[in-house]
Amino acid sequence: MNRRLLPLRNKFEVELLEAGKGPPLVYLHGIWDADEQAWLERLAAERRVLAPRLPGFGASTGERHLLDIHDLIYFGLDLLDALGFEGGPLVGHCLGGMLAAELAAVQPGRFSHLALMAPFGLWNPACPAPDFFSAAPDEVEGWLARGQAKPVLLTPNDEEQAIQAALARAKSMSAAARYLWPLPNHGLKKRAHRISAPTLVIWGERDGICPPQYAYDFQQLLRGARLEVLPELGHLPHVQQPDKIARLLGSFLA
Amino acid sequence: MFHLLPYRDLPEDFAERHRSVWVTIPSELYDPARGAELYNESLDELEYAAALGFDGVCVNEHHSNGYGLMPSPNLMAAALARRTKDVALLVLGNSVALYSPPIRVAEEFAMLDCLSGGRLIAGFPVGTSQDTSFAYSANPATLRDRYYEAVDLIMEAWTRPEVFSFDGQFTQMRYVNIWPRPLQKPHPPVWIPGGGSIETWGWTLEKDFLYAYLSYFGYKRAQKVMDGFWRTADEKGVERNPYHAAFLQLVVVGKSASEIEERYGPHCEYFFNKMLHVWPGFREAPGYRTIDTIKAGLLGQTGSFGDRPPSLRWRDLLDQGNVVAGTPGQVVEQLEHVAKSLHIGHLLLLNQIGSMPHELALENIRLTATEVLPKLRPIWDGQWEDRWWLRPEAARVHATV
Repeated sequence: MNRRLLPLRNKFEVELLEAGKGPPLVYLHGIWDADEQAWLERLAAERRVLAPRLPGFGASTGERHLLDIHDLIYFGLDLLDALGFEGGPLVGHCLGGMLAAELAAVQPGRFSHLALMAPFGLWNPACPAPDFFSAAPDEVEGWLARGQAKPVLLTPNDEEQAIQAALARAKSMSAAARYLWPLPNHGLKKRAHRISAPTLVIWGERDGICPPQYAYDFQQLLRGARLEVLPELGHLPHVQQPDKIARLLGSFLA
Repeated sequence: MFHLLPYRDLPEDFAERHRSVWVTIPSELYDPARGAELYNESLDELEYAAALGFDGVCVNEHHSNGYGLMPSPNLMAAALARRTKDVALLVLGNSVALYSPPIRVAEEFAMLDCLSGGRLIAGFPVGTSQDTSFAYSANPATLRDRYYEAVDLIMEAWTRPEVFSFDGQFTQMRYVNIWPRPLQKPHPPVWIPGGGSIETWGWTLEKDFLYAYLSYFGYKRAQKVMDGFWRTADEKGVERNPYHAAFLQLVVVGKSASEIEERYGPHCEYFFNKMLHVWPGFREAPGYRTIDTIKAGLLGQTGSFGDRPPSLRWRDLLDQGNVVAGTPGQVVEQLEHVAKSLHIGHLLLLNQIGSMPHELALENIRLTATEVLPKLRPIWDGQWEDRWWLRPEAARVHATV
């Protein structure tokens, strides 16, 4: 997998992961610093995968220029331009799913397909998502993968590495707060009717971060969307079972 | 005298049964009839402190919080303005980033300055993470920038004579033109209450505001923070004028060690073990502190998330300097040491602590005011000019009936 820094608008440096050959697919990550390598490799088997890190995540900079969801959306459009992405599938997880849906609403003609994995973007008072921003790490681990023993977040044992990981985490959660505070609903509902790309919604039935009720809310919002609710999986289905999710996506894109 | 207006009747097993005294404290623990007593008793205590010769009385803003029942300190200051005459009213302060537009604070502080006859000291805290981002939902990632912008707008609103427009990142106004205007000129003294964030120091010094370190953990642990503040002053070429800084200290005064422990001990333990029982996740909304401050903290401590401070007993509170306790002579000696070692010219004393009953608080206030303060006042006399206190030329207008 190739990693490079992409300068943008003299304000941002975007860390870009690139792999594979063929028609391009853009993947937008979530907020969890999870290990997505296996997932990206599966995707890259058949396509050229472009996986930028959003500002404030990884080595990407410039988050202080993004004050709200609208700034993030226009950043996303500039980023697609800079990637030379004219058309093709857009895939997003969690915050990246929310941004993917927003982009597909702003430029409905640009995307051949839209795939959303456990996206944020809605709020259902009958089913409030938990406050992961203030929760203890073990609570968050539990919500990410309910009933699964294996930790899904990167947790180094070495003390120096653990400090660096804690700092990176503080930075990325701060960036996440820009668009998800105090609730993850920043108006997508008002714009979602513009989405015209065929859409796949993937959800883990054991997702405690975005409860699976939201899968049905998204399906209702995006009429005609195909919905896959997967038993046994949590908020990071593509990290837990990269093969399975890549196959699902592959059959949707075929 | 500093007052938090604590709720004094939390149950014995509060810390075991509940996650946090702040943000999610259950409403069924609050008895409005008791609240009515507490508000009036607390104002009595502040007025008593003023009458006995404290230089200032101090109120502050907290939300959804069992240890501080002043969501609006301006209401408290307004009540005090009419019942006191010469004492400074320190509102420490208004969390300016929470008000939209923030000139609401410029207006209310101007009203308080007029009401009190020029006795307002204006505090602009960033605000705690608990208050701002959890209880009031302000975005922690932009809170500090919003705060800096709000302070700039308020200062301009107070000092620019003309009607002007303001085009900020967070606030836009076609017409900024506050009526009334503050009585003190060019504006009331500005104090910046801080909890030890290193980025606040440089900014406070650049603006020539006073830095007030509000810690409940005593003068011993404050040394590192205040040393950092004064080092920053050196770097910026600002003289080490002790009046440029203030420090909060819990104080109880009595007759003998055993009498003090018996009468005050349980109330101080209540404060540390119940009132500070805050869920760690609420202390630190993501982005509330900058990466530099987090780094400074991470490198200096090994604790991990969820570590609550151990339950503290009276002996611990004395040993760590969290509470300064003793006979008047002993307290004078310790507070002189606090002022000199931290190099501060303004001491904020918390005399009403935790579950302390009203009568005992009044006694503590009386002993502090009459037997401690007169001996402390001259510490820095004649050596430095206090440019962060009430502007003396303002007319002292006050209630006439």
